[in-house]
Amino acid sequence: MTIKLLQKKSQGLLAILLSATLLLASCGKKEKTATPSSATETSSTTKAEPIKIGVLHSLSGTMAISEVSLKDVVEMAVEEINAAGGVLGKPLKTEVVDPASDWDLFAEKSKELLIEKKVSAVFGCWTSVSRKSVLPVFEENNGLLFYPVQYEGEECSKSVIYTGATPNQQLIPAAEYMMSEEGGGYKKFYLLGTDYVFPRTANKILKAFLLAKGVPEKNIIEEYTPFHHQDYQTIVSKIKKFSAGGKACVLSTVNGDSNVPFYKEFANQGLTATSCPIMAFSVAEDELRAMDTEFLAGHLAAWNYYQSAASPANDTFVKNFKAFCAKNNLPGGSARVTDDPICWAYTGVYLWKQAVEKAGSVAVDQVRPALYGMSFNSPGGLVKMDPRNHHLAKPVKIGEIKVDGQFDVIWETEGLVDPEPWSKYTSPNKSCDHVNHGGTYTK
Amino acid sequence: MVKRKTALYIRLLLALLPLIICATNDGDIRLLMSPDKATKSDAFSRLLAAKQVATFPVLNAINSKKLFAYNGQLVSIGEKNSTANQVTYDVFLLFPEIKTLTDKNNAPLKVPLSALQPIKFSRKERLSLIPLLPYINLTSTDKDLRKLAYTQFQNTPKLEDISILEAASAKETDTELMRFAAETIAIVKLLNATTPEAQIAQIRRLEANKGDNTVFLLNSYLENTTPLTPNVQKRAREAITNLNDRATRIDWIQNLFSGLSLGSILILIALGLSIIYGLAGVINMAHGEFMMIGAYTTFCVQELFKISNGGALSDAFFWLSIPIAFLVSGTFGLVIERLIIRKLYGSPLQSLLATWGVSLVFIQLARTIFGDLTSVKAPALLSGGWHVAPQLVLPYNRIFIIIITTVMIILTFLFLYKSRLGLRIRAVTQNRNMSACLGISTKKIDAMTFFIGSGIAGIAGCCMTLIGNIVPDMGQTYIVDSFLVVVTGGVGNLFGTIVAGLGIGQFTKILEPIFHAVYGKVIILGIIIFFLQFKPRGLFPPKGRIADD
Amino acid sequence: MKALLKNRSYDYIIFIALFLLILPLGHLLGVISVNTISLWGRYFCFAIAAIGLDMLWGYTGILCMCQALFFCMGGYGIAMHMLLSASGEGTYGKAIPDFMVWNQVTELPFFWEPFHYFPLALICALIVPGLFAGVFGYFIFRSRLKGVYFAIITQALALAMWLIFLRNETMLGGTNGLTDFKQLAGLDLTAASTKLLLYITSCLVLIGVYIGSKKLVNSKFGKVLVAIRDSESRIRYTSYEIKNYQVTIFVIAAVIAAIGGILYVPQTGIITPGRMDVKASIEMIIWVALGGRGKLKGAVFGTLLVNFLYSIFTSTLPGSWLYVIGILFIVTVLYLDQGVIGLPQQIKTYFAKRKSAKL
Repeated sequence: MTIKLLQKKSQGLLAILLSATLLLASCGKKEKTATPSSATETSSTTKAEPIKIGVLHSLSGTMAISEVSLKDVVEMAVEEINAAGGVLGKPLKTEVVDPASDWDLFAEKSKELLIEKKVSAVFGCWTSVSRKSVLPVFEENNGLLFYPVQYEGEECSKSVIYTGATPNQQLIPAAEYMMSEEGGGYKKFYLLGTDYVFPRTANKILKAFLLAKGVPEKNIIEEYTPFHHQDYQTIVSKIKKFSAGGKACVLSTVNGDSNVPFYKEFANQGLTATSCPIMAFSVAEDELRAMDTEFLAGHLAAWNYYQSAASPANDTFVKNFKAFCAKNNLPGGSARVTDDPICWAYTGVYLWKQAVEKAGSVAVDQVRPALYGMSFNSPGGLVKMDPRNHHLAKPVKIGEIKVDGQFDVIWETEGLVDPEPWSKYTSPNKSCDHVNHGGTYTK
Repeated sequence: MVKRKTALYIRLLLALLPLIICATNDGDIRLLMSPDKATKSDAFSRLLAAKQVATFPVLNAINSKKLFAYNGQLVSIGEKNSTANQVTYDVFLLFPEIKTLTDKNNAPLKVPLSALQPIKFSRKERLSLIPLLPYINLTSTDKDLRKLAYTQFQNTPKLEDISILEAASAKETDTELMRFAAETIAIVKLLNATTPEAQIAQIRRLEANKGDNTVFLLNSYLENTTPLTPNVQKRAREAITNLNDRATRIDWIQNLFSGLSLGSILILIALGLSIIYGLAGVINMAHGEFMMIGAYTTFCVQELFKISNGGALSDAFFWLSIPIAFLVSGTFGLVIERLIIRKLYGSPLQSLLATWGVSLVFIQLARTIFGDLTSVKAPALLSGGWHVAPQLVLPYNRIFIIIITTVMIILTFLFLYKSRLGLRIRAVTQNRNMSACLGISTKKIDAMTFFIGSGIAGIAGCCMTLIGNIVPDMGQTYIVDSFLVVVTGGVGNLFGTIVAGLGIGQFTKILEPIFHAVYGKVIILGIIIFFLQFKPRGLFPPKGRIADD
Repeated sequence: MKALLKNRSYDYIIFIALFLLILPLGHLLGVISVNTISLWGRYFCFAIAAIGLDMLWGYTGILCMCQALFFCMGGYGIAMHMLLSASGEGTYGKAIPDFMVWNQVTELPFFWEPFHYFPLALICALIVPGLFAGVFGYFIFRSRLKGVYFAIITQALALAMWLIFLRNETMLGGTNGLTDFKQLAGLDLTAASTKLLLYITSCLVLIGVYIGSKKLVNSKFGKVLVAIRDSESRIRYTSYEIKNYQVTIFVIAAVIAAIGGILYVPQTGIITPGRMDVKASIEMIIWVALGGRGKLKGAVFGTLLVNFLYSIFTSTLPGSWLYVIGILFIVTVLYLDQGVIGLPQQIKTYFAKRKSAKL
């Protein structure tokens, strides 16, 4: 009897103890939230108080492969800015959280960054689903997200600054190039992608474009594989059959770790870049790093930035990034490379800094209008924010994969390509204008 | 007076010009090096018009932007040599013949880019080379470019090209390219044939040749050539049907092969899983991670080889890494068994959870040490594929995996049924208490089994580097399927594992082209559940008293 | 309350006081942010699903590796309703959800129709997973699959269903899942009051499910379940139709999980197939194991603890939190066979043993 009672008692005690810890922890959280709010109020008087910015990139889970580099480059940009005197005389401080490739956690962490930590801007997200997951949170709390990856368009939130490419800044020029005499005059297109929203929408736009250009329906095949698909035997046989007769190419939106098995199988079944090139929209230097690139050489990619692009701004950027990775003992060290999303993540931080300085405040409502029409000499060349929406006007470049995993820029647009968040091939009557129409509007 | 004289000279020159060009392109080739833009362009357009085979290498170099002047000669660059402080290239002469330049000691001359003077042509000029590209490509030393050239000729078939094609075809030694050449010649002849007999003869040739593009070419021939006699049409249709039937057969063979290769991968992974479960009753959720360890071991061996060889890499590293991966993964398995699993024998679900925790830690460990994406360079011997018949290519890496799986199966059987240790393992599997009574140290046997099971997973990981990349969570890709293999085959039964692995692999690949990969998987699961209705303990259930719970 | 006091059930009192009084009051007074409130609201939903799992695993001995699937089925049901109730308000202004417009679908698929009406949607969100579990369970238990076999088959099921939900053709949003909800039963989801209401509902439902489950496991039915866990063959010899019991508890667990899912989605704002992959179900098992399987209290406690730690560590230890969770987990399995909730008992027995040894 006594034992039983004791047991009950100790259980109760344990419960009390644990609940107290939980409560304390939540209170601790609350305390944390209290300090920054008071800090922002008094920030004008105390100069040393840092400005907080959030970094929302997966550091574990499946997306870590791509996203870790973006976190690194944002931290590097912050370090550079701090070394140069900070923003508005105040240093920047990054709040790094790990959404762990868990889409629900993205929403949770963005709430934490905006509500609890009161960050001035957030740099983050890679996949469309993570962006869609945090979008309501940012709109609800009037946050500002800098999104550095090329995306499918058909979206134009007031809370997101899209520094990556819109479909017309990547897909259309690439398809045009492939159809041109110079690009090889291809007539048959195999649209292969991983089954999620970017490839789906990208292929929808590509298909509409190709049909508009007079490519017959039977010469276009669409195909999707699940995430992390490893076994491309069947699909490559299909491509082989499709490419009989020549003049066929693959437009690939295959994502992440599926690329290696795909390219390997492609080479092993006897297909080559000369007989049937793959134009990839999701393969950049960072994915090619440390990959066995010999069988990839000659295939193509379309981006707005390459590490091999020759410009003084880029040379310093690449050098600094390598040095930063080596200095901080990050995996890969000085063997790390830069690529398109890394460049735009970096550019995003500087755009924000310029806008803050122009506005004289970190308040989102003042930073946002300051961004319109702003230009910045990025490692990828001079880019310009659209005067009416949250996208960048930038050059488009076609690169050919070299044996060393770098790209040869073989073609580029003359001048900057203006962003079209709504593709004119699929949504001809829609456009985005935050200045006059408050976002998406129908023409 | 002087003026008149010059005019006369010019007239003479103009009259002689065509002659000079026909006789030799030497002058024009030299003129390409002229600093005067107009002279250079004129020379270029004359070369273009002349279509002389001897000048193709030069034109090719122009097309690929690799034409340079060096010591008054036209050269292009070849192999790149990079040393610590300088990047140099091998240089070869383009005209009158392709010849690698050598230094005094007859070794290839190595020249830095700065010593070469690039000869630039505008984009417009380069674009004007396009109609000539098939001809240029046909003389290329690159097999792929020649293949491309034949396809280009197929798209623009002209009778006057036939002599060029026949000349090129005579030079081909590679069977695949010979097939391409024959196909091209036949289709050109077919399109220019006027009598039904000649047409049928060419169609027959095409059919017998079994070229890659034949069906496509015949189809467009039927569509686009209007006055065709019924006989010719019938013959062409027959040829198409026959070739399509053949393609279907080849598809089947390719599918069977794919199924076999997928099946071997599943077996290779499930083998270790099955042994461990059979003996210790532990479902090892970290099994995929032992595989991952094997893959990273291969990567490490490769890097070590690179370091010790000063950057160069020989194929030997891969063969060597197979036993090393076995040892490393096995050791990890041993350690995990000693530290964790030993305490959880007899409670399979608890051990399932503990090993899940182990897998979490391993994945994060790999991520911290290696970063995120690495891959191994496949040995040259295992790149490419075996051309069994026209259009039937079996990749070497997959053949290798099938072979290594067979070897592992044989070794495992020999070990379990022919060695003393194997006998003990089987004894403990059948009746742990009885074996202990008979003086078998069951603890030692447990540890040994874990070592071997994890080691086999390591070899599986080593093989997986041939078809995919190495990522920290690579173990998760096939693990659920492998569990299914073990369950379907009857837990702990090696023979069942093999049969189930092959079966699931084949079924998946048969269903995949018909349905989609995803629905194929769902159907497989349905089949397995249906199958378990009749054989709830798998294909080969354990018999007798040990079968009871 | 009196009964609770009498039984010295301090833990219940603390739970109620903490989560039904202090947290909501703290929020109303402005001390606790709305984020914390919805965070705990979401943990409660997980806890509800964990109770179902504990009844299956802890009491009946069936390790089900697809509990997250049923959780998501419920979640998808309510998400479909929320999207339809806000139809016409999307970016495209069409009567169908936005993601269908991307996918060039013009008409609402037939199976979306019932989700127009809130009560019908709720019923569907509960019946579909229940029915699914019933049919699947019937075939599985009929062939007497158990233990490891059952675990692996359910894991394969989770994988297959995950892959199906990932497809865009299934008209459930593919990888992106369903998101951008505006309102639920006329309530604006962005309002703090709605969030508080959802939090309190979740808490009350958790308490309700807990009490119901407690009653169930203490009933005769529950005793049979425990008997099945301890020795299936013996109970079969005493002419119980085991299959019926197993199918019933499997369905109950699935429906409970679906209830959790229904409450979870409005508070999270998104539901994607990522919630139901192989890993998600194993995580649920981990919560139960960590808290202490075979005790409903343990399941709830474990869920709250692990999720709380997960939230904390992913912010404070980005990059290395997997170690912490992984090692914590191994240690629990190795040394705490009763889970965290059984820790005091274990400590006591340990000291008692030492004491007796000294004597």
